[in-house]
Amino acid sequence: MEAGRVWGNKKHWLMLVLPLWLAGCAMGSLFQPYPSQAQSWVHPASGRNASIVQHLERAGKGRDGVLYLQELGLLQQRLGNDTASRTVFADVINHYEHTDAQALIRVTGLASQTGALLINDNALPYRAPDYERIFTYSYQALNYWAAGDVTGTAVELRRAAQAQRMAEQHREKELAKADEDTAPLDLSQYQGYFEGLDLAAGAVKSSFQNAWTFYLSALFWEAHGEYNDALVDYKKALELHPEADWLKADVQRVSRALDGQRQRGIGTVAVIYEQGDVPARQEVSLPIPTPHGLFLVAFPSYSVTSGSVARPLTFHVAGQSAQTRVLADVGALAARNLREQAPGMLIRQVLRATGKYNLQKKANDDFGGAGAFLTQLFNLISEQADRRSWLGLPAYAQAGRITVPVGEQQVLLSGPGGDASVTVPVVERGLTLIHVTERAGRLVARVLPVQEGPL
Amino acid sequence: MRVVMAMMLGVALLASGCASKVEYGDPQARETVTPDFGSSDLQMIATKMVDDMMVFPPVVELTRNRRPVLFVDRVKNKTSEHVDTESITDTIQSRLINSGKFRFVDMTVVDRVRQQLEYQQDSGMVDQSTAAQMGRQIGAEFMLYGNLSSIVKRDNSTKDVYYKFTLKLLNIQSGIIEWSGEKEIRKTRSRSLFGL
Repeated sequence: MEAGRVWGNKKHWLMLVLPLWLAGCAMGSLFQPYPSQAQSWVHPASGRNASIVQHLERAGKGRDGVLYLQELGLLQQRLGNDTASRTVFADVINHYEHTDAQALIRVTGLASQTGALLINDNALPYRAPDYERIFTYSYQALNYWAAGDVTGTAVELRRAAQAQRMAEQHREKELAKADEDTAPLDLSQYQGYFEGLDLAAGAVKSSFQNAWTFYLSALFWEAHGEYNDALVDYKKALELHPEADWLKADVQRVSRALDGQRQRGIGTVAVIYEQGDVPARQEVSLPIPTPHGLFLVAFPSYSVTSGSVARPLTFHVAGQSAQTRVLADVGALAARNLREQAPGMLIRQVLRATGKYNLQKKANDDFGGAGAFLTQLFNLISEQADRRSWLGLPAYAQAGRITVPVGEQQVLLSGPGGDASVTVPVVERGLTLIHVTERAGRLVARVLPVQEGPL
Repeated sequence: MRVVMAMMLGVALLASGCASKVEYGDPQARETVTPDFGSSDLQMIATKMVDDMMVFPPVVELTRNRRPVLFVDRVKNKTSEHVDTESITDTIQSRLINSGKFRFVDMTVVDRVRQQLEYQQDSGMVDQSTAAQMGRQIGAEFMLYGNLSSIVKRDNSTKDVYYKFTLKLLNIQSGIIEWSGEKEIRKTRSRSLFGL
């Protein structure tokens, strides 16, 4: 009996100390919102690159490692360190493989689930959603492309296609399962809170399908005379943008090429354009019903105004001009992905709200005002929405192509972020790819090695 | 005292469990760490290709009285993995050479051989009576080339990988494929239900 009381007292003290300890230590994005951390690498200040890279490398070893490594891989690519970027993205891909191979029910997984129930969803290790994985493979393909490794590029493009196919199958199974089960939680009662999210998510048909990646691989296969593969990928891109006449023209051209009708004396100049920054998740306060009444909780969402506007890039070559078009609205993919996760998040929020209320009530009963104040403080600090997502991604991934006579050609790129001019080689039936990125109003262009001939 | 002993024992057990160690293993042992392309696949492919080729009647006939000269073109990697296909053809080449039935010319060192020949001929450093002569190399009669392709299927609990390796022996002069071999490999990985 005596021992029981001592233990009981210990538990009370633990209850008081735990919140203080948790509040005191900044653990990744547990108490500091991810978007505010990410500012330093999304728009790195000049001269700080080395320290940011170091910081991301360190963070890459942590619980949310894969998220930081994704950011690091893209940052290295944008800094022109293709080899470093390749190593980092290879780690990221290994991480995906490892996560996919893990046991379905894991002891450590249960521990972080419990942590998430006590504190917030940021305690769950970051799991890269499908749309981010597909971008990783595309960027890795560009790393191999830049290094002139054709086989490596082909491997990564195949992986990207595989990831899209598997995500599609997975989603179909989930939908079939959802039809069988009754909906666990009705989202409609929170409709007003998810207005921005719904609006953003409505711009795309699924949370992962990426016509930009399909288009990039179609261009690659076409340049290497793999017309069958190119046709499949152009058609997939067209499926996602059925209104795009320019994609229909691509499908027709490759169909003709399959029949042996190939034009001579011309080559392709294609521009892939990454525009703007993907919007970050916002935090909204959501009233959650618990047995003790409504409890206000922090929930991630996207605001109506958070998205930037898509602006095309115009490119002029040999007296002709063309524009890039949006193939992937990344903000919409992210919003749709969050929309799909929302029911699960809400269930966890209801459990957490109940738990936190009980903690507060117990502290109030046992320790009076001081206890209640401390637990309230803990609840306030720990109430953080899960705002983690890959913020280095562009807001819009665009692309466009043009056929021009072979030889050296000057390409003039003009977009809202200014003008740039590059001289590129054009070879017969080959592909010259210009990779343009717009960051903070500045255009950065690089010309990748020409692709031609059989693989 | 007993408690201290028990604790020490516990710590010792824990420490020994955590220490990393290095061991030598059998290079021929079955490797099943992941379903990705691995050493066992490479060995299985090389063994199957060499065995098939050596018992194929026209090839047996061809090598009865002479050792034909071959060169390895390349094996195209059409999988979704970064596989070093040169390593597979190297193993096949070694086994064919060691069988004593074939000879090979190596196209990957042509530039370095040319450099050496030029050095021997033109540098004035080499005794011309021992210098290797230009234009005396033997032309390859056959070419070895092929494909490695894969089909990957995956759902929430299983990953299934199917590999197909195809190798062809082509007569350079006639353009006839004299022999063709194929090796299929299927690997499946199931996710366990419980784990750490």
